[in-house]
Amino acid sequence: MSLEAMLALLAAIGIVTFLYRYAMIGLFAKRSLPAWLHALCRHIAPASFAALTASELFVHGGEVVLALAAPKPWAALVAALVAWRTGNVLATIGAGMAALYLFKNLF
Amino acid sequence: MNPKFAEFLAGCRDEAPLQLGVMPFGMLYGIGALAAGLPAWIAQLASAVVFAGAAQLVIVQMLAAGAGALPIGLTAGLLNLRHMLYSVSMAEHLRHLPRRWRLLLAYLLTDEAYAVAILRYRATPPPEGAGAGSPDLRHWYFLGCGFTLWLTWQLSTAAGLLFGASVPAGWDIDFAVPLTFIALLTLLMRERAGQAAALVAALAALALATLPYKLGLVAAILLGLFAGVWATRLGRERGR
Repeated sequence: MSLEAMLALLAAIGIVTFLYRYAMIGLFAKRSLPAWLHALCRHIAPASFAALTASELFVHGGEVVLALAAPKPWAALVAALVAWRTGNVLATIGAGMAALYLFKNLF
Repeated sequence: MNPKFAEFLAGCRDEAPLQLGVMPFGMLYGIGALAAGLPAWIAQLASAVVFAGAAQLVIVQMLAAGAGALPIGLTAGLLNLRHMLYSVSMAEHLRHLPRRWRLLLAYLLTDEAYAVAILRYRATPPPEGAGAGSPDLRHWYFLGCGFTLWLTWQLSTAAGLLFGASVPAGWDIDFAVPLTFIALLTLLMRERAGQAAALVAALAALALATLPYKLGLVAAILLGLFAGVWATRLGRERGR
């Protein structure tokens, strides 16, 4: 992506994000949002993070690659287990990175 | 002390403990942005213009994966939609303020600032009638919360950019971004509806991986959303 395109993209995201924040405070007199929007918002984060993680781990160059000898999926599995047990973001990152270094040297 | 300034400081003080959780994310974003090939000044500018942690991490991850502008814009647009919920919740408390105040506080309306400021609004009633007793200064409190978070976010982004520039590429430090997603995902998946949304989105991301510009990611997120909403509705009907 060119520098200009990147700046335009970030500006657009910034403006839209600001409009979300300003919408009900400054623009519209309406005091409530439809129930479906509330319901939808609860699922946006898990859906986005899951899609991005799956893609990072198993998609390379537009193709799905399920390789048993790839270190990143295994490191991710270790990280997920630590996250499940501890609920701690920093511990998860630490364990995941440590596992990645270990598996890179093993495989 | 000036009562406005005292209220501002109270907001700063109550927001402060949350900064411990915010700082690593800001640093991670800075590190990830450099690894994704973003020039440092643009990465820092984005922290001021976008000012939304999760969306910025997602933008960086998608840039690193070679996604086009359209899927990145759509995903960030979806991810930030929740700010409208905060906006509607804050609206009744800010309605009386002049426009410049509302513009400023809207800009500072993030997850963490909202979480702290809304408690103040709910805990203390507004002063009765015009001119009676003390004036409503709670927007100064909100400003203190928002300003504290803003400062942490800018400084931790800068720290991440400085640190990231000194880490060799072979260290795979950018892998910390998907690891963050895994950590947050695991916390979000303690709810059944979150599980359905995440599972469907992950599988769809693989099934649609061949779509150009990474548009498959956007489609996968939308499918995950529908699955989550549907699972919630199903659970509610079964509970009846």
